[in-house]
Amino acid sequence: MITEDRETFSDTVEEEHPVEACTKCTACNTVCPVARTTEIFRGPKFLGPESERYRDQHEATVTAGLDLCSGCKLCEVTCPSQVSIQEYIRRAQNKGAREKGRTLRDWLLGHTRLLSRFGSLTAPLANFGNRNPLFRLLMERVVGIHRRRPLTKYQWLTFESWFKRHRKNPPLPLGEGRLGARRSVAYFYGCWVDFNERRLGQQVVAVLERNGIEVIVPRQQCCGIPAVVNSNTDLARKYGVENVRRLSQLPAGVDIIASSTSCGLMLKHDYAHLLEIPGAEQVGSRVYDVCEYLWMLHEAGELDIEFQPVDTRVLYHAPCHLKSHGIGYPAMRLLRLIPGVRVEEVDEGCCGISGTYGVKVEKYDLSMKIGSRLFEAVKAAGSDSVLADCETCRMQVEHGAGSRSAHPIDILARAYGYR
Amino acid sequence: MPDTSTGVVVIGGGSTGAGVLRDLAMRGIDAILIEKGDLASGTTGRSHGLLHSGGRYCVNDLAAAIECVEEGRILRRIARTTVEDTGGYFVSVSEEDEAWEPRFVEGCRKAGITCERISVEEARRREPALSKQVRTVFWIPEDGHLDPFYLVVGNVESARRRGGQVRTYTEVIGFTRNGNRVSGVLTRDAMTGEETSIGCQAVINATGAWSGFVARLLDVEVKVVPVKGVMVILSRRLAHAAINRCHKPGDGDIVVPGLSVAILGTTAVKVPHPEVLPIEWDEVQMLIDEGAKMLDGVTTARAMRAYAGVRPLYDLGAEAEGREMSRNFAVIDHEERDGIAGFTSIVGGKVTTYRLMAERVTDLVARRLGVSTKSTTAEVPLNDREDELDQLRHRPAHLGVPKPHGEEVALQPLLCECELVRPQDVEPWMKDPAVRTLEDVRRRTRSGMGPCQAAICSYRLAGRLVTDRGVDGRTATRAMADFLETRWRGVRHVFWGSQLRQAQVTTGVHLELFNVDRQLTKYFPPPLAGEGQGGGVPAEAAEVEAVGQP
Repeated sequence: MITEDRETFSDTVEEEHPVEACTKCTACNTVCPVARTTEIFRGPKFLGPESERYRDQHEATVTAGLDLCSGCKLCEVTCPSQVSIQEYIRRAQNKGAREKGRTLRDWLLGHTRLLSRFGSLTAPLANFGNRNPLFRLLMERVVGIHRRRPLTKYQWLTFESWFKRHRKNPPLPLGEGRLGARRSVAYFYGCWVDFNERRLGQQVVAVLERNGIEVIVPRQQCCGIPAVVNSNTDLARKYGVENVRRLSQLPAGVDIIASSTSCGLMLKHDYAHLLEIPGAEQVGSRVYDVCEYLWMLHEAGELDIEFQPVDTRVLYHAPCHLKSHGIGYPAMRLLRLIPGVRVEEVDEGCCGISGTYGVKVEKYDLSMKIGSRLFEAVKAAGSDSVLADCETCRMQVEHGAGSRSAHPIDILARAYGYR
Repeated sequence: MPDTSTGVVVIGGGSTGAGVLRDLAMRGIDAILIEKGDLASGTTGRSHGLLHSGGRYCVNDLAAAIECVEEGRILRRIARTTVEDTGGYFVSVSEEDEAWEPRFVEGCRKAGITCERISVEEARRREPALSKQVRTVFWIPEDGHLDPFYLVVGNVESARRRGGQVRTYTEVIGFTRNGNRVSGVLTRDAMTGEETSIGCQAVINATGAWSGFVARLLDVEVKVVPVKGVMVILSRRLAHAAINRCHKPGDGDIVVPGLSVAILGTTAVKVPHPEVLPIEWDEVQMLIDEGAKMLDGVTTARAMRAYAGVRPLYDLGAEAEGREMSRNFAVIDHEERDGIAGFTSIVGGKVTTYRLMAERVTDLVARRLGVSTKSTTAEVPLNDREDELDQLRHRPAHLGVPKPHGEEVALQPLLCECELVRPQDVEPWMKDPAVRTLEDVRRRTRSGMGPCQAAICSYRLAGRLVTDRGVDGRTATRAMADFLETRWRGVRHVFWGSQLRQAQVTTGVHLELFNVDRQLTKYFPPPLAGEGQGGGVPAEAAEVEAVGQP
């Protein structure tokens, strides 16, 4: 374990009835990207603690407006009373969906892993379809996915299969890395790395192995966040139970890392608190964001800092869910260790996509409007690329600002000479 | 010559007075209701709001229980939306309670109250918050919640539509007499001090716990015993239904679901004066402890405020005290009893039976006035909350999300976010001259009754005073400060946990951000010794409102 005395997330001031801790200070509404952008949304204070007072298990849930919440969780980060605003919204949404049923689109978007597996198996065809205007028009009409939203490119070779091959033929013999394999981590790569950006996973593995860390890739299910934000915490819980069961079986002393901030947040916090999965608290206390982990390694004096200079000027966009981790911006700190890297934070708030939110036909425009401040700032800065730890943030910045984007690990891997 | 003339003057703006005004108006009798504070600012507004099935009285006070059964059914019909059909549970949590059960079941049978014993498991399925101590559960489907504010306002508005008039903040200071006959009422405006006279043929004294004071102006005695009851409000409903202890009615044995809150009740302490209602810390503590025996979460829930009301128990001469006294009512015909014609008192009773009380006293007065029309108040609905305005209140959904998304139609802002009060809910009351303070607006809209206790809505309402009533900034600031002051009086009794943190936020908003105290001392310098008030609501009026419900 990288640290012995890691505290778990404490949730609320009044653990028993946290909804009652709300003092109506309205801080949540002032940071909510949706409430700041549109007047059709009442904001987290209303949909969370205020509406919660009126919710009753005996009565049908009122769902109006709940879908407008993008799930960025900035409200919870800001709340001085630590009210679990998101939990009320998500639970109410799930109960409403149970009562009224889910749309095909929300069902599909909730089953990201299934969708991605299908996309990956039929990669060339799926990618062609996703770029075909006629098909996209059809998709918008039938399913409700906005036709201008660029969809992810699927890869036929998954990270999982790549890693199996890699395992047989590691670049460095285990235990004989520069520092020796004194640590082991389990990598929760998530659906994105598995089906869409295998390269990021390869870079994470390379960076870790370069530092003499043995990487284990346990079998895993979707983390469940797409289901959570698509009114299906029931499904998310099913996934979560499966993940917790598998991750609990890891040998003691193995830390868990995630390269997606949202997957990481699910494992760290939401499994235990939102989904109330038994044993999730123990698993969560072992989970680190990959950059957080590397920075802790550096603090322990174990990070290889003999970087090759990388001459680049990049912007860093901090994803909302990273802010929820409460770990600062470890990626920026890491990048500053690399000679030649000039990194600047673009502090313009949420990018607006929020996972599957900005994909939906009725929310696309809103999503682009939320991100417009970020896009303007990125365009004005004229840097090489925008770094963000979250995959959908990267998609949105590429789409909205027309710039290139990458995970911070990309620069780190380059500094280690990995191509 | 009196300044105004009418048929009947009704004194007292609680449920009884409002019911009498409506009954008179429906029989076509001209009437004016006068009330020294606001409507429902006395006993009615400080009740716990239980619509009695009669279960609480069926053992000790069968007559009152039978009245409750009948009246409860009538109210469900005529005040459909003022009543919430919550049902109720009578639960036993100790051996003594269990010993009471046979008497309770027998009482229910005698009074005609539907009562069904259900298993504890079934009860817990319906009410997951039921405490582990619960041993036996009786389901009483006819318990309910009665919103006392809407009830009074609904009756008065119904009367107003039929020609009845209402004057709030109007105190009786004397009567004019014509020999043995009361011929008019002298009144004083509690805020401006202006005095007026109303000529009339009859006066109905419906002032409940204050009846003795009014009667004394005519040198007659009405013996009413004011018995204080303290209640604590929790910021949300812990249970869907009313929860009663199945035992001899005692302290802290009921939890009433009051719309968005839960009310823990109550105590019974004889007090010397109906306006002297101190709330002691041990009373608050006792209510919470006792409530926790019936429901889980009472101790950890957010207590929002505490308040005290006064029961107007009529001394029938029996050697009874407090709860032992009957909750029955009596019509006192002072013409017969004291030889004073044109003066009638209605005393005792309870909110649940207000309509019957009003009918009985109006029957007598109408007969004396030679009006033979029968009362129709049991048949004609109040139309109390028939408009969508009120039906929506408890369902945030209806506050509307425009569809389809993408077309940006701004949502209507809310004035009070805790209690979901919209600008149009407040608007009509801003035009009503009977509404004088922001507390009055609160009673009619629930604005300021939520967990933040007017921290936010107070300044929005003050703004509405400026835009809708054209008052100047300083008056509005004063009104806002007075409103917060009355909220504070209830909050200070539950000063711990979230409500303490809330008070800190409220202080921050009003004293630090708005600098209200400095503004007040600038506009209203403190009076020198011997001088009059600084302004705003006179201390007397403020005192009356000191402990208003929630």
